[in-house]
Amino acid sequence: MTAQEVRLCGLLLREHFGEVVEKVGTHLLRSGAQNLRTIIHETGLPLDLVKKSLCVLVQHGACNFRSGRKGPGCPTEYQASGDRILRILRYPRYIYTAKTLYGDTGELIIEELLQRGHMTMSSTVKTVADRLTQNMEEGRSMDYSEVTSAFSKLVETQFLQRCPPMGGARNTKDTTPGTPASTALLTPESFPDCYKVPHITLIGRGKRRHSSDDGEDQKSAKKAKMDPETHGDEGIYWQVNFERFHLHFRDQAVISAVANKLDQTCSEIVRTMLRMSEVTTSPSATCTKPLSANEIFRSLPASYNILRPILDQYLTLLVDDPMEFVGKAGESGGGMFVVNLHRALANLARATLESAVQERFGSRSARIFRLLLRKRHLEQKQVEDFAMIPAKEAKDMLYTLLSQNLVQLQEIPKTPDYAPSRTFYLYTVNQLPTARMLLQNCYKTVANLIERRLFETKESKRLLEKSQRIEAILASLQVSGAEPEQLTEVEEMITAPEKQQLESLRLHINKLDSAENQVDETMFLLEAYVSSTATSTA
Amino acid sequence: MSEVKVKKEKNVSDPVEVENRIRELCQQFPHGITDQVIQNDMPHLEPQQRAAAINKLLSLGQLDLLRNSSGLLYRMKDAQSASKMKGSDNQEKLVYQIIEDAGNKGIWSRDIRFKSNLPLTEINKILKNLESKKLIKAVKSVAASKKKVYMLYNLQPDRSVTGGAWYSDQDFESEFVEVLNQQCFKFLQTKADMSRDSKQSPMVQRNSSFATSHEVWKYICELGISKVDLSMDDIETILNTLIYDGKVEMTVIAAKEGTVGSVDGQMKLYRGVNPVIQPTGLVKTPCGLCPVFDDCHEGGEISPSNCIYMTEWLDF
Repeated sequence: MTAQEVRLCGLLLREHFGEVVEKVGTHLLRSGAQNLRTIIHETGLPLDLVKKSLCVLVQHGACNFRSGRKGPGCPTEYQASGDRILRILRYPRYIYTAKTLYGDTGELIIEELLQRGHMTMSSTVKTVADRLTQNMEEGRSMDYSEVTSAFSKLVETQFLQRCPPMGGARNTKDTTPGTPASTALLTPESFPDCYKVPHITLIGRGKRRHSSDDGEDQKSAKKAKMDPETHGDEGIYWQVNFERFHLHFRDQAVISAVANKLDQTCSEIVRTMLRMSEVTTSPSATCTKPLSANEIFRSLPASYNILRPILDQYLTLLVDDPMEFVGKAGESGGGMFVVNLHRALANLARATLESAVQERFGSRSARIFRLLLRKRHLEQKQVEDFAMIPAKEAKDMLYTLLSQNLVQLQEIPKTPDYAPSRTFYLYTVNQLPTARMLLQNCYKTVANLIERRLFETKESKRLLEKSQRIEAILASLQVSGAEPEQLTEVEEMITAPEKQQLESLRLHINKLDSAENQVDETMFLLEAYVSSTATSTA
Repeated sequence: MSEVKVKKEKNVSDPVEVENRIRELCQQFPHGITDQVIQNDMPHLEPQQRAAAINKLLSLGQLDLLRNSSGLLYRMKDAQSASKMKGSDNQEKLVYQIIEDAGNKGIWSRDIRFKSNLPLTEINKILKNLESKKLIKAVKSVAASKKKVYMLYNLQPDRSVTGGAWYSDQDFESEFVEVLNQQCFKFLQTKADMSRDSKQSPMVQRNSSFATSHEVWKYICELGISKVDLSMDDIETILNTLIYDGKVEMTVIAAKEGTVGSVDGQMKLYRGVNPVIQPTGLVKTPCGLCPVFDDCHEGGEISPSNCIYMTEWLDF
């Protein structure tokens, strides 16, 4: 993990779980796998705090444990996974996607699971039903079966998966005593029941929480309710399948790119193709399985009634496009077409790099950057000629890009002594290392935004506390039925400039939050591109 | 009285006669004569006398000394150019010859020095002399602005020296290039928009949004914004810069020989395109554009807490 990633993980852990967990988490990230005693010793925290932090991390899937590397008698070692912690940044996007696909029920299910980490199906259903009932009008409540069906739909489309059982892992290890770290952490997919919905007996409706229950509900807000009833799915815990969400985001990025470049109908065709190959394509595949034009024609949504020859023309257009989103894989069935996923990701990553250079350095530097991406290696004179930029300015821009490490210099000597007057100096851009560098910049940017947000909150802490106190007083006065004059008197305790300050603080925090989400979109594209190249070269 | 035998060499010819004979031979063979030819013609001539005659003619500037694969050649010099060089000495003639050989690319003074093995001061004097006689001229090269190349007075300098259509007096005309850039882009964009609005079948739409490089060239010529004549190659370099700007894409199709604008059986087609993605999220934050991004640390002089760019951006 790079320093920037560790810093960002630390900030995320601090925001969501507190400083103790942050300390333990960052320590584990920096030092790799360690056992309990070493963690206690090096962080200087008391035993029970370390235990609780590790529990929190394991509950959320951010930490894994396994028996020590030195042999079966060794104490268990804990290892934090930074990738999982970075996913916390993307929670809003997951929840929003679930809302668009499965409505409010789906949104709340995903939200609950993200908050708790692992949960059984029955407890999820009950909690979500209660929450939905809370927001409905008086007298209506949510039936458990509706929530259960939404849950099953989520499992069918693989957005939720079972957590790998921990006990089973230890059993397999007992049979092979001598093998050290060859027991790789088992992925959820390696279990056949990964996506099987258990049969649970859960009949009832959501309970509406009344304000008198507020006190005891707050106590159990963080802990799972101790439910005396059993519903037949003990020990089966569910978690959110992040990879599936990522595939969905990737598909959306490809579809919107096609819509931008070509037109709406083409993007609908690509959307159909991707939908058809959702479950048949493995996550790391270079391209989807070949689909025949007949199948595509049949699966198009009914609202798009385009004729068969027109569809053929659109498909030919897609294949001929220089971006190569769609490729032709054969002639049977009216033409077999695939969506080139890796190539689309590479093109999107390239567009991201180009836009970053354009916004930061200007359109002429962007012209030089694109020129070098296309033509690979060029001398300085050639760069000036192709880009049609005067020599002095081109030289200046090239050196600026070089100092920011966006462009590299390749020396080709003519003589064995690398005499400068007798060497060719060629400028070049390597897409993959540049993408990685930009990704690190994204991590640093998000960490900066979070720090700024915390700083702003800290600055106005006094003001925020005052406004909270006043709101609490107002609420209690309203409940106990006070007169309007008392209310206005309390409201006036906040002066106008203070109100303005609060308002601007609210705007600032919102802006910083939305900026974090925007940078996260860039992060997702670049991460997907980097991991796609890793699998294709492996 | 005994006869004094005066040995009269029957082979002795008057040097002037020898020269005239050689001159006639040269005129007979305009491509040049070798030593062998002169010897065949006047077998009685001794090598010394031949050499003396040839040297005399060379110094008078009436013969040109050339070398080819088989040996030395002597050629008649133009009477006109011979008159030009009257009054110049050998060195100047040598330098003039070198410059003439360089054609319309011109030659640098240092190269003249290498070829003639004359010292630098001499070269400079000779060059000044020749320039004042209006026999050669100096042209500034665009590649290195201090470098001057010399060529014959009445020759048109080559494109590589002056830079072609984009340079006027050694200055790169960036505004001219920018204007051309925008005009070409507007032309392609309107063509693409028109084809999109025509609501025909997609294939026809795409094909009608293409424009060949010939069409663009005609459009630009008719616009009349350029004082200089632009060739199709020039327009293609402008269109290439549009490709590097990401606004235009190009395909090559095979075309029948003889169709307007085809070069070697293929035509280049250009078409305006939309960008694939919106500006990326990173650049919507001040950190993405920050010039001191690498110096920013928490607790340092430059940190997120006291970043002035962020303050401005938040208050925007």
